[in-house]
Amino acid sequence: MSRPRAERTLLKDHWVVDPVSRRAGVATIEVHSGKVARLEWRDGVVEARRAFIEGAEPGPKDPKRLVLPALVDLHAHFRQPGAGASEDVASGEAAAAHGGYGAVALMPNSEPAADHPALLRELTRTTAPRGVTLMPIAAATLGRAGRTLAPMAELAAAGAVAFSDDGNPIADPALFRSALITAGALDLPLIEHCEDPALTQGGEAADGLVATALGLRPWPAAGEISAVARNIALLRDAIRDEPRARLHLTHLSTDAALDAVRAARAEGLPITCDITPHHLSLTDAWIAGDQRWAWEYSEQHQASLTPTADAYNTNLRVCPPLRDASDAAACRAALRDGTASAIATDHAPHSREKKEVEFGLAANGIAGIETALSTLLAAHAAGEFPLSLVAALLTTGPAAVLNQPALARGLAVGGPANLVVADLSATWVPSRKTLIGRSINTPLLGKTLTGAVLLTLLNGEVAWKAE
Amino acid sequence: MPPTAAPHRHLLDVAGLSWSDLKLLLGTTEAARRILGSPTGRVDALKGVNVTTLFYEASTRTRISFENAAKALGANVNSVAVASSSVGKGESLVDTVKTLRALGSNVIVLRHERAGAPWLAARVFDGSVLNAGDGWHAHPTQALLDLSVLLRNIGAKDGTLKGRRVAIIGDLLHSRVVRSNLHTLRAAGAEIRLAGPAALTRGFAEAAEKSGGVTLCASLAEALEGADAVMALRIQRERLDGGEVSSFEAYREAWGLTEERIAAHAARGCVVLHPGPMNEGVEIDPDVADGPRSLILEQVAEGVPVRMAALWRTLRGDAPLNAPAPAKVNS
Repeated sequence: MSRPRAERTLLKDHWVVDPVSRRAGVATIEVHSGKVARLEWRDGVVEARRAFIEGAEPGPKDPKRLVLPALVDLHAHFRQPGAGASEDVASGEAAAAHGGYGAVALMPNSEPAADHPALLRELTRTTAPRGVTLMPIAAATLGRAGRTLAPMAELAAAGAVAFSDDGNPIADPALFRSALITAGALDLPLIEHCEDPALTQGGEAADGLVATALGLRPWPAAGEISAVARNIALLRDAIRDEPRARLHLTHLSTDAALDAVRAARAEGLPITCDITPHHLSLTDAWIAGDQRWAWEYSEQHQASLTPTADAYNTNLRVCPPLRDASDAAACRAALRDGTASAIATDHAPHSREKKEVEFGLAANGIAGIETALSTLLAAHAAGEFPLSLVAALLTTGPAAVLNQPALARGLAVGGPANLVVADLSATWVPSRKTLIGRSINTPLLGKTLTGAVLLTLLNGEVAWKAE
Repeated sequence: MPPTAAPHRHLLDVAGLSWSDLKLLLGTTEAARRILGSPTGRVDALKGVNVTTLFYEASTRTRISFENAAKALGANVNSVAVASSSVGKGESLVDTVKTLRALGSNVIVLRHERAGAPWLAARVFDGSVLNAGDGWHAHPTQALLDLSVLLRNIGAKDGTLKGRRVAIIGDLLHSRVVRSNLHTLRAAGAEIRLAGPAALTRGFAEAAEKSGGVTLCASLAEALEGADAVMALRIQRERLDGGEVSSFEAYREAWGLTEERIAAHAARGCVVLHPGPMNEGVEIDPDVADGPRSLILEQVAEGVPVRMAALWRTLRGDAPLNAPAPAKVNS
């Protein structure tokens, strides 16, 4: 695809937030020859620094157009090779650009799994016509089967930015410890999907009132919590042998698991974690058809358990499952206090055939890369996160987890013009018409979202632009 | 004749039905009973309507009573035997429903082993879907017939179950019967006592705490205390996990309904229900199942008029179901 040349783009008087230089406020940006040619803060640099630190928000008279550095996703599934009916690199890249993303790390659960250097090299050679940086995460074990370590050194040499068996946990504790140490020696993080399959087998929805009322097989919180506790114990053990070992826990969803990470970080262990947009914003009551944002529940406004006509929507079937409003609140609290340092989309597209089935037979996963920013902006509008935190969680946070600071260089004069422009007040409705990924398995279909991406520039060129 | 636009196009669940909805359905059940008692035992009210029973799980009473109910209203009935149909060849539920639609079905009566399956069917079917049991979730017509039988036998003067205590004993976790009964019995004003082995009441302590009038009891004796009715649920051998109750014998010892236990704890005149099929001598003793307290055969018989009412409501909404005029007697 030949992209429209944007020789010169002027973004006059936008609300700009840059978590790298730690500045926020009204600014004018000029892009020229792929670089940021000019960046002028209306009230001066000192004021912009103060505004960022204080979490200043655009006032009523300030512009509603927001500029952030292009977003970074440390966890997505583009299904190539193996499941082109659901997504491939080209459709996934387009979806990412629409979501405002400039860099995406791809999980290895393709068919076959990305456990061989040749597969990684093929992926890194695949052209990304819109200019999104695609980074392979390699399987930690052969075939993601959890029996033998993958050739991790060769995979690192072939471009792996991390290792993970995502979709599966590494159930064998000895193998998990070996994977941590080997990845650490290569100076790469191990990203773990925390689940004890003996506890969660057959689980359809979070163990709780909704599952009980709807007759869905329970997926207990302990299925995540016990795995997190085990992984922390093994990390503590592993760093005695390999101090560079680093553990990242992805898509955490329970209050107690986040508490465990909070304590491990306080202890000084090299551990990070992320939260998905759906676990912080949706609840299991959506499965009954009660479609409110997670922050809209309270003692007075409890979840409705009576199934509506929209109940049992398989676009809500995800692993780990959506939980109640208090776990979702714990996810947001963890993001605010730094326990969780990144938003990861876990963009998991599935074709209609895999979702238009009985709830308990549906594939797990939500296609979320096109709605992540809107979801975070909804949380922001509800007072859950300042824009400065939204910006960091979507850019510098995930880049730091992957130890790839080059992915999030911020908005500096002379640096590459990788940025996203969103309209804080514009509304849009996710649908087959508005989403451009191949699969549209999101529970947000038909819901009016406030905050829409207008423009994604990567190296100054238009990766996506609203009509 | 295609179904007319009805305000209650499907019967997916009893959750959400108000007491007045339930009363209307029970009133229609009375009209259906009059039809069944008339000389022909049937009317042509649903003539031309094609009803298909689509059962993914084995069933005798539910399927047969739905079929008899549809015939008594004059509808055409056919049934898909899942084992010998294309479903056995891997056809999805959605494709099966679309096929039935193309073949002219107006109504699908669906029994499925997965919770929520009727919701999926309803989203792709332009006729009516009646839920004949979905996994652990709901069994609306069973709850309606249980309610009808209870009102007739232990109903309060005001036609509700206010002041009446109903105990439900056994495997709550896997039971669609208990989930649906909780809704209808609460709507009728009954006080509900639940009990069963801890592994099989998972989630119900929290659910009971959140719903007024429902208590999860620690023992059979506690649940039976002062009960006006007790319902035993079927226990399946494979669900005895070897801990608290490891055998049918151990189950009977702790949770089996015996005359002795009922007499010792329940209210005088306490009636006994079971949704069937029973394991006699396990969750219920034969002399209780066949004894004077038992309403079990009445439950089975109630299946036909209740399912006539359910079919009528989904196809004709709140319109009255008229019994045939009494035949003229030649003088």
